[in-house]
Amino acid sequence: MDKKDLTLIGVAVLICIVICALSPYIASGDPDGLEKSAEDAGVPEDFSIEEINGIPEAIFPDYAFANDPENQLLQIVALVIGAIITLGLGYAVAEIVRSRN
Amino acid sequence: MHIPDGFIPIAQCLVYYVILIVALYFSVRWARSNLDEKRIPLMAVLAAGIFAIMSMNMPIPFGTSGHMVGGALVAIVFLAPEAAVIVFTVVLLIQALIFGDGGITALGANVLNMAIVGGFVGLYTFKGLQGIIGKYPAAGVAAWLATVIAALACAIEMGIAGTFPMNVGIPSMVLYHFFIGIIEAVLTVIVLVALDKFRPDLLAWNEGDA
Repeated sequence: MDKKDLTLIGVAVLICIVICALSPYIASGDPDGLEKSAEDAGVPEDFSIEEINGIPEAIFPDYAFANDPENQLLQIVALVIGAIITLGLGYAVAEIVRSRN
Repeated sequence: MHIPDGFIPIAQCLVYYVILIVALYFSVRWARSNLDEKRIPLMAVLAAGIFAIMSMNMPIPFGTSGHMVGGALVAIVFLAPEAAVIVFTVVLLIQALIFGDGGITALGANVLNMAIVGGFVGLYTFKGLQGIIGKYPAAGVAAWLATVIAALACAIEMGIAGTFPMNVGIPSMVLYHFFIGIIEAVLTVIVLVALDKFRPDLLAWNEGDA
C-alpha cells in the first residue's frame, strides 16, 4: 500500500471517529422514515408479523453497551468499534474478490 | 430505512435472500474483472464511512429523522452498482449481527433497497443527466432519486409482507424520503467533490468510461 492510500485510510478513519464521537450527542432520536411510516399505519412498536426464533442478541444493541445503554461515551466506543470492523471486513472482502489481472 | 426482523414473513425473506445471492454472484464477477487493487482501500473506507454516517440521524419535518444511505455514491464512484452490493452486504451484515440495526432475516430486502435499487437508480440517473446538467448536479439528483425510489421499494415490500398497507406506506415513505433524499444529495456531492479534488485517480469517471 502506498503513502496516498495510507493517507486516504487515515483521513477516512479520522472522519469516521469525528462522526462517531458526535452522533450520540447530536443525532436525532426521532423515528426514521420507515418507523414513522409504520407509526402512521398504526403498527405497534414491538410488532412482529410472525414469530421468529433463533435471532442472536446483538452485542451492541442500538449502538450501545447492553448493560449501560444511556452511556454516551460507551456509545462512541461501540460506534468506533463498528466503523473499524467495517473497515477491516470491507478491506478483506474487497481483497478477496478483486481482479487478479 | 433499515427493515427490522419481524416486518417481513420468513418465506418472503428467503425470496429476498435469493435476490441477494444472485446479486452477489454478479457483483463478484464484476469485481473479478474490474476491481483494481488500487481501489481496495477506497472500497473499505466507503464501507466504514457509510457505517459511521448511518449513525447520524438528522431531523427532518414531521417529527421524523433520516440519515445518508450511500448506495448512489458507491455506484457512481465505481460506475458500477455491483460495488454498492458488495459494500452494503458488508455494512448491513455488521449492523444486523453486532448492532441489531436492520434485521438478520431482512438482510436480503435491505441490500435490495439500499444497494440494488439505490445503486441502479443512482448510477443510471447520473449517467442520463450528467451530459445535460453537469456531473455534480447529476450526482445530487441521482442520490435524491435513489433515496426516494428505494423508499418506494421498501413501502411496496411492506405492503406485500402485510406489515402496513401500500395506501398508507407509499405516501408516508415517499414524503419522508423526499426530505431525507436532500441530505443524501448534499453529502453525496460533498464526498464526490472531495474525492475528485484529492484522489481523482480513484474515481471511475476520470478513466473515460463514464
